Amino acid sequence: MGSGWETTTLAERAAEAMPGSLLAGAGYVLLAVVGASLFVAVLGMALIYAERKVAAHFQCRLGPMRVGPHGIFQTVADTIKLLFKEDIVPAQSDRVLHLAAPFFSMMATLLALVALPMSPIVQVADMNIGVLYITAVTGFGVLGVLLAGWSSNNKWSLLGAMRAGAQIISYEVSATMSLLVVVLFSGSMQLSRIVESQADGWWIWRAPVVGVVAFVIFLIASLAEISRTPFDLPEGESELTAGFHTEYSGLRFAMFFLAEFVNMFVVSAMATTLFLGGWMPFHIGGVESFNAVMDLLPPGAWFALKSAAVVFLIMWFRWTFPRLRVDQLMKLEWKVLLPIGFVNLFAAATAVVFGWYFFPF
Amino acid sequence: MDVSRMNPIVAPPLRRSGFFADIVAGLRSLLQGMGITFRYFSHPSTVVTQQYPENRATLKMFDRYRMRLSLPHDENGFHKCTACRICEQACPNGSINVVSRKGAVTGKTELDRYIWRMDSCTFCNACVMACPFSCLKMNGDFECSVFDKSLLVFNLTRYAGPTSTVLMKVENPEERRKLWEPRDVYSGPLPLRGTELPGGGKTLGKPEEPARSET
Amino acid sequence: MSAIVTTLEQRIGRGATTQEFFVNMGPQHPSTHGVLRLVLKLEGETVKDVIPVLGYVHRGVEKMGEHLSYRQFVHLTDRLDYLSALANNWAVAKAVEKAAGIETNERIETIRTLVAELQRIASHQLWWGVFGMDLGAFTPFLYGFRDRERITDILEETIGARLTMNYIQPGGVMFDLHPDFQRKVKEFIAYFRPKLEEYETLLSRNIIAQERMRGVGVLEAAQAVALGATGPVLRASGVAHDLRKSEPYGVYGKVEFDVPVGARGDCWDRYWVRIEEIRQSLRIIEQLIENIPEGKHLLVKPAVRTKVPEGITYSQVETARGVFGVLLVSDGKDVPYRIHVRTPNFNNLWAITRIAPGWRVADLVTMISSLDIVVPDIDR
Repeated sequence: MGSGWETTTLAERAAEAMPGSLLAGAGYVLLAVVGASLFVAVLGMALIYAERKVAAHFQCRLGPMRVGPHGIFQTVADTIKLLFKEDIVPAQSDRVLHLAAPFFSMMATLLALVALPMSPIVQVADMNIGVLYITAVTGFGVLGVLLAGWSSNNKWSLLGAMRAGAQIISYEVSATMSLLVVVLFSGSMQLSRIVESQADGWWIWRAPVVGVVAFVIFLIASLAEISRTPFDLPEGESELTAGFHTEYSGLRFAMFFLAEFVNMFVVSAMATTLFLGGWMPFHIGGVESFNAVMDLLPPGAWFALKSAAVVFLIMWFRWTFPRLRVDQLMKLEWKVLLPIGFVNLFAAATAVVFGWYFFPF
Repeated sequence: MDVSRMNPIVAPPLRRSGFFADIVAGLRSLLQGMGITFRYFSHPSTVVTQQYPENRATLKMFDRYRMRLSLPHDENGFHKCTACRICEQACPNGSINVVSRKGAVTGKTELDRYIWRMDSCTFCNACVMACPFSCLKMNGDFECSVFDKSLLVFNLTRYAGPTSTVLMKVENPEERRKLWEPRDVYSGPLPLRGTELPGGGKTLGKPEEPARSET
Repeated sequence: MSAIVTTLEQRIGRGATTQEFFVNMGPQHPSTHGVLRLVLKLEGETVKDVIPVLGYVHRGVEKMGEHLSYRQFVHLTDRLDYLSALANNWAVAKAVEKAAGIETNERIETIRTLVAELQRIASHQLWWGVFGMDLGAFTPFLYGFRDRERITDILEETIGARLTMNYIQPGGVMFDLHPDFQRKVKEFIAYFRPKLEEYETLLSRNIIAQERMRGVGVLEAAQAVALGATGPVLRASGVAHDLRKSEPYGVYGKVEFDVPVGARGDCWDRYWVRIEEIRQSLRIIEQLIENIPEGKHLLVKPAVRTKVPEGITYSQVETARGVFGVLLVSDGKDVPYRIHVRTPNFNNLWAITRIAPGWRVADLVTMISSLDIVVPDIDR
């Protein structure tokens, strides 16, 4: 697979250090915890700020302008406000579940972050079942939503939670189906190897047509999984006021909010890793001079740029489209996306078997 | 009813064409919509937000904007109000109380206090329209937020003496000067109908409760 | 869940134990457009029954009217349907003029028609934005408001108020047109026609929006008439009833325009009728703006308390939402003995009880929005 990239993960380094001194190993764990929290917090705030600014400019507005230059500290101020707000638990709620639900949501998001290769040297753990792992843990998030809706003892919340349950579980099928296309082409479920397999070109275009179709299906299905417009039915502001998190306030609301935005990043990062080459610069197999120019930008920057582009795309959807209805949502999944996904997977398998793609090995 | 005169035009039906045709047409419609939002996104000149407190210097309200009732005074501090109370009667919700008194020199009715309650005013402009002397004006001073609604009771007369025409008839300049001395801005109780005002005025209308004679 | 419970088991005697439940939509809910309260009977997401509960902004406007002179009453009608304040003013002015025999001139009628049509466009723009938001698209809301702002500015310059205008008075209008009015209206028309196309692309042609509207909440023509629905709601059901055509007032008799009607009476028809009405209003304004006749703008002295001879008078106008009628009962004094207003939204609202059952909560939101309800107008 001849890519000259040294890849190391945090897990590997910790494992190396562990036999020598327990302290060093513990240091790595601490580093991971602090780093992850910081990363999630900063990323969440940055994404919320970006969302507000992007939304504003789509709508001929300016967005936050007051706190700091161009309002860059607005989200910081809002976060601080949320931290200090009273955490209200409704009297008739299922108290334990109500308090626990946001953590389930947050945990799913954090667990997914573990496996993402953000650059050759920034990855926490590189599992040989990376794709499977991410699919599994992101599906865990629905548990938080369901718990939140059920424990709130609010009918609107319950409606939102039920919508979320049906929606997320259905769309997981399509998302997985499109992930399998890439797994077929790259021949691995390990995310670092999937990235390396794209050294000669990204799967979105290297796999003719099926790559694009798989990308589109993945994007649509993931949007539904993270409940972004046009699939934001679980929150459905104009219908359910706030859906499953109607009864949440303060820090716990902030956790749902943060999980939602970081989820958006996880989806973008997954789309980037699988279809857009991950941290791999834009390469065309065999054109060495062109590839050399592309290599000038470090892999981390490539990853950030590509993810940012997908995030922007998701925001763009949100600020353009109306929302689907529950039955239409199901119809879209079971009658449109899933059949197309199956046909696409079959076509991809055929293409792999016969080597019908650009720059075969 | 003559339907032919109506020229009715009938709504076009929304058609479905087929599985793949619908997907293609649907995706196209979505992309077109995205095109529109992106055009606004990529052209910051289309932003219409006005940064309000910062643009105070350039923000100009239209001349006719109706926000704050005023009793314009000319450069000598005179106004044209004769305390005829037509505005008070024109007001649909009793937001105006004109308090008059007998003038000390002329013996005629003159304006003492012009009390306007912005808190109950609906800015309907009826008082301005009704004024036979055109002495009232609504202006565009819209920054009126306060923490206490009693602060929205205004006395419009900076100078609450006789009108300029009456004043001009007073020969003695010393006496005239004494007449136009500014009085305090009103700071008494809210002028509910029938209550007595400091300085001996009484608001127009029937008292809502029996007037207390001892006050 | 403390709801009235009827299990399927009780009802049909099988083993299933689902239950219907009641839920309050409003008075604080983003989609009830103010303080309307709908009690919903739901089975899962499916709406079984809708019971509107009214009166959260009841202010007793009719009773207040019995203590105010006719001119003073006009300003209360601003506060009924605040999005078409001018048309409401006009209805009162028309009733008083009819009852007291006040003649108006051509200029007054032209000005009234112009501003009322401008406000009809503004009202539909706002409705379009809110409709988009109720469907879940946020951006149309801002675009609708952005373009409405232009009209509001034009009206503000002439009238001096943005929402509660109190402009059309018995015997004339409060102010003459501002010198800039004609120029700005022409600028607006040139500006807005392309924007209307954008509206179409952004929402009307959007596949998701179409799917949300297609066949949803069909109001049969007979039902609509029986409920007393008027305005776009009635016309979308296929009944070509428009007071501007059937009993022309103002200068509507002299201008050419078409009346858009729907074919089936679903949400899409109601949507389309309003969008088309914007076009027709633009047409009316274009025909009138060039030649506004000369004349006085107010023929009655403002301070005079108009006395209306004994009798009962009814007059009605077509606002952006339907027929707004005023019934004056006079005993010869300068205040009415009884004044009654027939507001379009009150009748339009009840359509929801007929069209909502069987649809989902999300459709209910679409339907309420497509009826274009202004709650103070219902509660009066």
